[in-house]
Amino acid sequence: MAEYFTARGLPVPLELRRNPLTDWRRLTVIALVLLVLYIGLKITNIDTGRANPEYVINRIALLFKWDFSIMTPRDEFETYMDTAWWKMIETIFLGIMATAFSFVVALPLSFLGARNIMTGNPITAAIYAVVRVTFTILRSIDVLIVVIVLLAIFGPGNAAGVFGLAFHNIGVMGKLYSEAIEGIDAGPLEAITATGANRLQVVWAAVLPQITNPFISFTIYRLDANVRLAPVLGLVGGGGIGLDLFQSINLSQYGAAGLIIFMIVVTVATMDFVSAQIRKRLV
Amino acid sequence: MPPIVSINDLVKTYPGGTRALDGISLDIQRGEFVVLIGLSGSGKSTLLRCINRLVDPTSGTILFDGIDVTTADRAAIRRVRRRIGMIFQQFNLVRRTSVFSNVLSGRLGYRSTWRTIASRPTSSDVAAAFENLGRVGIADRAFSRADALSGGQQQRVGIARALMQKPEVMLADEPVASLDPATSHSVMKYLEEINKKDHITVVCSLHFLSLARRYGTRVVALKAGQVAFDGKPAEIDERRFKEIYGEDAEEVEIGPDRPQPQPLAADGAEQVDPSR
Repeated sequence: MAEYFTARGLPVPLELRRNPLTDWRRLTVIALVLLVLYIGLKITNIDTGRANPEYVINRIALLFKWDFSIMTPRDEFETYMDTAWWKMIETIFLGIMATAFSFVVALPLSFLGARNIMTGNPITAAIYAVVRVTFTILRSIDVLIVVIVLLAIFGPGNAAGVFGLAFHNIGVMGKLYSEAIEGIDAGPLEAITATGANRLQVVWAAVLPQITNPFISFTIYRLDANVRLAPVLGLVGGGGIGLDLFQSINLSQYGAAGLIIFMIVVTVATMDFVSAQIRKRLV
Repeated sequence: MPPIVSINDLVKTYPGGTRALDGISLDIQRGEFVVLIGLSGSGKSTLLRCINRLVDPTSGTILFDGIDVTTADRAAIRRVRRRIGMIFQQFNLVRRTSVFSNVLSGRLGYRSTWRTIASRPTSSDVAAAFENLGRVGIADRAFSRADALSGGQQQRVGIARALMQKPEVMLADEPVASLDPATSHSVMKYLEEINKKDHITVVCSLHFLSLARRYGTRVVALKAGQVAFDGKPAEIDERRFKEIYGEDAEEVEIGPDRPQPQPLAADGAEQVDPSR
C-alpha cells in the first residue's frame, strides 16, 4: 500500500506507517489492561476454592426443592400475613406506593424543570436550573444507599423502603416528564395563544393533549422498574420479601429461598410483559 | 373609515441583533385582501405576529381598531387577539385530539378557564363548530384525529378554528407553503370567500407571486424589514420583481386552477435558474 505513495514521491500517511504488531501505543494499552487485572486479582483475592462442580450442582439442585410450607402459616404464632405469597403482594405494593409518591412530587416539579416553559425571565430560568440539578442529584444516589440512610430515621421496615425508592425515583421521573414537556410541538401553543386564550387555557388545550400519553408511558415504565427493585430492598432492611429471602439463605433453607426467587422472577416477568404491552399501545 | 390595522414605524430587533423589521408603516383598510411577499427572512412572519403580539415589537405602534396593541395589558391583548384569526404554514393543530375539539378551541378566548377545564362547551359553540366545519367541507371528519387528515384538510380545520373567533381580521402565515398547487388553490379560495362574503380583512404572506396576483387586492413587498413595494398586484412588473427578489430571481408560474403539466420545484420566486 505504501508503495502507491513512495512511487509518486508523496508522504506516506501515518496510518500506513504503523505496524499494528509493533505499535507501542497498542502494546502499552494491552500491557496496562493486563497489569490492572493482575493487581485486581491480588487485591480482591477471589477465592473459588470452595465451589467445586459437584458442590455447585448440589446447591443449585437444593434451590429447586421448593419448600411450599412458607405459603401457609407454619406455627401457631404466624398468620397468613407472614406467608411468602402475602409478602410478595406487600412487595409489589412497595413498588406501587413508591411510584405513587414520586408521581405526586415529580408531576408539578417537571413543569418547573421544562426549559420551554421556564425560559423568558431570569427568575424562572433560575428555578429551572435548580430543579434540573435537584433531579440529577436525586438520580445519582443509589436506592440502596438512600434506604440504608433512611433506616436511621424510620428504622427497618417498609417506610424506609418506600421512601428510599421514591427518593431516587423522583429524580428519574422528573427528568423523564420534563423532557416529555420539552419535546412538545410549540405550534399548537402559538395557535391557541393567538385565539386569545389565557395561559391556563393554553396549557389545558395545547400542552396536556401532547403530554398525557408520554406521561402515562413513563409512569408505567417506572412502576415496572420499582416493582423490580422492591424485592432487593429487604436485603438492607427496607421491608418486603427480600428480607425473607435473605434470612432463608442465611438459615440454609434453600428450598424456601428457591421458591421465593421463583415468585420474584414470575412477578417481574409479568410486570415487564404487561408494561411493555400497555406502553406499545400508547405510542 | 379609519383603518382596521394601522402600523407606524414598527421595529423589531431579536435578541442577537437580527433586525427583522426596520421601520414599517402600513395602514390596512377593512375588507382588503393584503398579500405580503418577500424573500425568506424579509420579516413577513414577524410583521404578522406583531399584529396580534405573538411577537413583542421593539418600538413603534400598532393600532387595531384604535386600540394600541403594543402597550395593551394582558387582558386587553387577549380581547384583541380573539378578534384576529390566524392560520399557519404548519397548521398548528393539536395533532392527537379530534378535529372537532381543535375547532372548538378557537372559542377559548370567549370562554372561562373553568369551562375549558371541565370540557363543557356551550351548545352554541358546538353548533358553530359544526357549521364552520361544514363551510370548509369536512364536517364528516369531525371526530377523526387531526393528524389523520391530509395537509389541505388540516389547513381547512385551521381556518374553521379561526372562524370560531368570528374574527374581523384573518392573519395567514404562509398558509399554502406546505401544500401542493391544486390544494393551495382550494385553501386560498376559502380565504377569498371569507374575505368577500364575511368581509373579514385578510393579511396573508405568500411565496408565489402568481397566487398573490390572483387573490390579493393589494400587495405589500418586504425587503430586509422595510416596505419595498405597496400597491396593486398588477403593478408588479419585471423591474419591480427584481427589486423585491434580487437580480438572480426568475418568476415561476403556479397556474391558476389548472393542474400543473410538470412537477413543480416548490418555490418559484427564490429560485435561481439552474442552467446558469
